Amino acid sequence: MTQALQKVDHSALKANQLFIISFNVLAFILNLPILAAFVALVMGIGSLLKVPGFGFVYKYVLKPRGWMKPDVLDDNPEPHRFAQFLGFLFMTAGSAALFSGATVLGWSLVWLVAVLAALNAFGGFCVGCAVYYWLSRFQLPGFSKQPPAGTFPGMKPKVGASQ
Amino acid sequence: MNADVLLRFGLAVVIIGLCLAAYWLLNQRLLLRARNNILTLFSKLPDKPVLVYFTTPDCAPCKTIQRPAINQVSRVLGEDLEVVEIDATERPDLAKAWGVMSVPTTFVLDTRGEARYVNNGVARAEKLLEQIQTL
Repeated sequence: MTQALQKVDHSALKANQLFIISFNVLAFILNLPILAAFVALVMGIGSLLKVPGFGFVYKYVLKPRGWMKPDVLDDNPEPHRFAQFLGFLFMTAGSAALFSGATVLGWSLVWLVAVLAALNAFGGFCVGCAVYYWLSRFQLPGFSKQPPAGTFPGMKPKVGASQ
Repeated sequence: MNADVLLRFGLAVVIIGLCLAAYWLLNQRLLLRARNNILTLFSKLPDKPVLVYFTTPDCAPCKTIQRPAINQVSRVLGEDLEVVEIDATERPDLAKAWGVMSVPTTFVLDTRGEARYVNNGVARAEKLLEQIQTL
């Protein structure tokens, strides 16, 4: 079954993941639950606006200065949005746990998000996207997209955008 | 306060170290897979190091960074290196057999055809040269 893919700039996604990793690790080292809550907030806003939460830094700073180059691929944006939303839920739960004194649970959730973001940024595997594609196999409403042809569910597509 | 920050920093280093170890183990698995599939590329092994490069026609970083890096390595090593370029869209069977899930991916094989290094993502010329020179 063929489906219409869209242009997705994976550099914007990567920049978002790098900020999430950095802020989460920094929040843990400095014991700043407020920083974890800030990351949750940014991811939540990103989910609402359907853009990568920290994508604005890429758009207005990193890309214009040539510090990161666009990596536009034919892909489905929906699984990436779902992955960010999942991250937002975990970060919100983690922040809530930290503020309520459940520090082990709280920091575990924060680290989980950081590790999964690192797996995506450095390994090219998006766990949230894999979950999305797994749910789409059960034809759940709202989960209609299939992985791009020849791409393992959750992996970064092998084929670049056609322009 | 400072001791707490140091302890947390140490913990962060340990967690990151564990993640890197897991990544290393994954790469070892890929190398093992490549070793078992070397005969899918050659009927007779060339008596020199081989660079196996998985790419696709529209992979942007392959064109802008990886290909120039491989050209540079080829210029330096000349006939002492065999470069095998595989289009993963034309040969999905090979990409699957070698465990390649993203491009660019490069494997460095020694003269006996054993995969010694795998680079997931872009590998700079300096890194490739260093890997080949340690064979």
